[in-house]
Amino acid sequence: MTAEPVRRRRRGVLPFSPWHLVLVPVTVLFALPLLWLLVSSFMTNAQINRFPPTIIPDSLHLEGYRYVFKNALFPRWFLNSTIASLAVVAGNLIFGVVAGYAFARMRFRGSRLLLAVMLGTLIIPFQITMIPTFLIMKDLGLIDTLGAVIVPSLVTPFAVFLFRQFFLSLPREIEEAAWIDGCSRLRTLWSVVVPMARPALSTVAVLSFLTTWNDLAWPLIAINNDHNYTLQLGLATFQGQHRTQWSAVMAGNLIAVVPVLVAFLAAQRTFIQSLTSSAVKG
Amino acid sequence: MTARPASTGPTRRAFLRQGLGLATATGIGSLLSACGSDDDTTTGTTQDGNVTITMWHGQEDQGKETIDQIVTDFQAKNPKIKVEASSGGVLADSMLQKITTALSAGSYPDIAYIFGPDIANVSRSPKVANLQPYVTKPEVNWNDFYPAARDAVTVDGKVRGFPALVDNLCVAYNKKVFKDAGVPEPTAGWTWDQFVETARKLTNPGKGIFGTGWPAVGDEDCVWRIYPMIWDLGGAIVDASGKKVGFDNDSGLKALQTIHQLGAEKLVYPDTKPGSETMYQIFNSGKMGMVPTGPWQLPDFVDQKTDYGVVPLPSYSGNKVTIAGPDTWTVFDNGSARVKGAVTFLQFLTESTQDVKWATQAGSLPLRQSTANSTEWKQHVAKTAGLDVFSDALSYARTRPTIRTYPRLSQPLGQAIVKMLLNKGTPEDALRQAVQAANDALATG
Amino acid sequence: MMRSRPADLRRLSEAGTAWAYVMPACVIILGLGILPVIWSFILSLQVSDLITPAEWIGFKNYEVISRDPHFRNAVGHTLLYTALFVPLVIAGGLGLALLLNRRIRFIGIYRTLVFVPFVVSATAQGVLFSFIFESHFGVANAVLRWFSIPPQGFFTDEHQALYLLVVIGLWSGVGFCVVVFLAALQDIQQELVEAASLDGAGRWATFRYVVWPALQPVTIFLLVWQTLQALQVFDLVFVTTRGGPLESTTVVVFFVWQQAFEQFNAGYAAAAAYVLAFVLLVLSIGVRFARRRDAETR
Repeated sequence: MTAEPVRRRRRGVLPFSPWHLVLVPVTVLFALPLLWLLVSSFMTNAQINRFPPTIIPDSLHLEGYRYVFKNALFPRWFLNSTIASLAVVAGNLIFGVVAGYAFARMRFRGSRLLLAVMLGTLIIPFQITMIPTFLIMKDLGLIDTLGAVIVPSLVTPFAVFLFRQFFLSLPREIEEAAWIDGCSRLRTLWSVVVPMARPALSTVAVLSFLTTWNDLAWPLIAINNDHNYTLQLGLATFQGQHRTQWSAVMAGNLIAVVPVLVAFLAAQRTFIQSLTSSAVKG
Repeated sequence: MTARPASTGPTRRAFLRQGLGLATATGIGSLLSACGSDDDTTTGTTQDGNVTITMWHGQEDQGKETIDQIVTDFQAKNPKIKVEASSGGVLADSMLQKITTALSAGSYPDIAYIFGPDIANVSRSPKVANLQPYVTKPEVNWNDFYPAARDAVTVDGKVRGFPALVDNLCVAYNKKVFKDAGVPEPTAGWTWDQFVETARKLTNPGKGIFGTGWPAVGDEDCVWRIYPMIWDLGGAIVDASGKKVGFDNDSGLKALQTIHQLGAEKLVYPDTKPGSETMYQIFNSGKMGMVPTGPWQLPDFVDQKTDYGVVPLPSYSGNKVTIAGPDTWTVFDNGSARVKGAVTFLQFLTESTQDVKWATQAGSLPLRQSTANSTEWKQHVAKTAGLDVFSDALSYARTRPTIRTYPRLSQPLGQAIVKMLLNKGTPEDALRQAVQAANDALATG
Repeated sequence: MMRSRPADLRRLSEAGTAWAYVMPACVIILGLGILPVIWSFILSLQVSDLITPAEWIGFKNYEVISRDPHFRNAVGHTLLYTALFVPLVIAGGLGLALLLNRRIRFIGIYRTLVFVPFVVSATAQGVLFSFIFESHFGVANAVLRWFSIPPQGFFTDEHQALYLLVVIGLWSGVGFCVVVFLAALQDIQQELVEAASLDGAGRWATFRYVVWPALQPVTIFLLVWQTLQALQVFDLVFVTTRGGPLESTTVVVFFVWQQAFEQFNAGYAAAAAYVLAFVLLVLSIGVRFARRRDAETR
């Protein structure tokens, strides 16, 4: 059951594929928070604060959005998060691929141990490691800068691990063909191997981007100045100890979610492999 | 590598320099630190005697605006002291975690907003300033602060910060719900039996109406509400020796029994969502008759256009009793110049003129008696329904002890209260378990 | 032009290249990862509140924790959560990926929307689910009432809360599995599938012999990742129940956080974290043995 070519099912009563009937309810279930964010962001605080809350607002109230945009720093926060997340994606893709390839294809002493130790750094939960990490970041002078958000996540053991797994599963013949043809190791990697690793690349890209984009706990500790807040951190300040600007929180969350989804939708083109794979032929 | 006093700093740095091949890292580091703010929080004084102090106030929205305004006023009068006030990236709830990390790393602000129950532990750090020499100065007028406020910032006889906020617990009630149920509004001097009876009359499962509400997560907002009951019954949070709880007797038992009554008969809405917001939402939606709360909630009632009234807490004995939950501006030691600067600023902040702004705009109560007597405050009180009840209660409100082991006795007590609210088990069992855990905690000192 | 060099030289230069390739990842991961692991272990041997100088007590924390019923419960809750969550999220992710792996109109939108829960922040999810599962006024009980099912306690019921968290965790975590499986499915050579069906293989056989093996790398990755996520779950608990009601949803990492930041008992918290780490280590060694055996028999 892989990607099926478009079938012509003109028999039967439905003018569209019956799969829609299954997919729509399933999708609605998952899309629920998006709908809820959308609807709530157009309500007033008073309407949201009712219990049970209003499900459908009487009209479109923009006070949530106004509060968000009145905040002069909101675009800055958005930019901070974007830069940080993209930097983390780049780091993981570049360094992860290279390291993963080395683990998969090259023999060097201690490689097994090294990989095990790398993965081993994940066994202690963040709630404890955040303090020594804070200490290190402070010694590097990165506290209260975007660097503190980027550097600890620049390469994760997961990225290295996933790329290694993936490269291991690729047939060696292609690489050896390129090697014999005179390609250097690096060139083989970048022009031959990497294009075959699309699932792994997209997985790591998505994971790296989202973990940084949605991270609240670490920026909470590492950032002090409100010019350096990430988006989630900034949104968190809308929730007061006793009073929360709910419509602004909803609007802000929507603004945080929508670009990611749009990018994801657009990027689907790169996920969809063409029906003929150009790399392996006969 | 043991705990992190500053002296291990250079060793760690040397280790990192070699171990990381730091050419790369410093390159990245300096590049990335350029992306951030240029504020330098490590040096305090510049050559010409200017001092820069950092303050993590943990406030947002109105509170933040008020502080920003006060900072501007202060800097106009004190050009040599620059105040960098920000929320610090956290709101007051998460401040403790951040300050703990900051203290262990040796990189902390000059002033931070620390909750009352937390200051006893935070001030065990040698990096918390001792303000004793400063507060005895006449211009500070220390005794003008309410006793509850003063007690909250004093740990082991030493003053560690300035009072930031005072509040207390009174009962707010929804007039419409009372009217619809045909129940007469409560009055001062009422008893807990009357409270339960009123809740019984107001509770209407058919209409989904609860008599009252109580936070049921087991956190501090859940626990502090039981103390007025315990105090009124002659108990104490910690006994005279400080090694055992003071409610291991009828005071604790009767209090839990009252709560158990409310829970067993489903007269109380147990708010299991962290943040205690849901029960106020229910109150404002006319589905709850009355709820013990603090003055911070009044602006919310006004926003939601709830027709509310406020009466003091009920009691068992007929005496006036309630609890105050003061918060503090804790001062940290980044060098004597900065401590002095911080004290000067806090003095300004808590002076009557500023205190009244803070109290009226940020929803606090006056920290000082002189503020309470000022015309501005009196006018504000006249405008806001119910605020006078809170304001008057300041004179008899008591506070929790500032002891280090407080969090460890509060947690088991919170679980006991939640058991009662959810009707799981008997008051006797719940009390026994809570007392045992709390005594164990106190014994470890 | 053949590259022919003496074998030793080649291996040496290969090792050199390998180290060069691995160095950046090494520097970041080990530099920033090893220190915290060591620091945490040292902390677990002390009595510390992070604020005052710590006291050495050796393995006493571990002794106490082995007798602590709260911690034992926390471990139990964590293992239960993991045992339920991991298989369901992988199976669910695969099922949905197979469902979404077809070219019909709007498929891109369907795929994107299934991914929504993974993108929404934990805080927003916490608010949403607290509202839906609120036992008196929430939507869930309203729906149940419609089907004449009595109202459930959900987050106020200590027997239901953990299972509810599994459900919410599944709902928000399955999207990532879907994306990963989808990407892997798309990558499967169309020729192989066609060849299999030409050979007379039915749907199930095609799946078993063509598709499933091709999914091995991502499946293993997802298994590892989701297990780690489940064993270290924190955010979900923090925003919905704070470990309650009555500590029924206190998982190990929440226990760790409470001990470190509410009870000022950081040494004890570190010991708890290390016990969890030990469990993880045992699990991973077991997996490694299983896989090595598997690889050797291939």
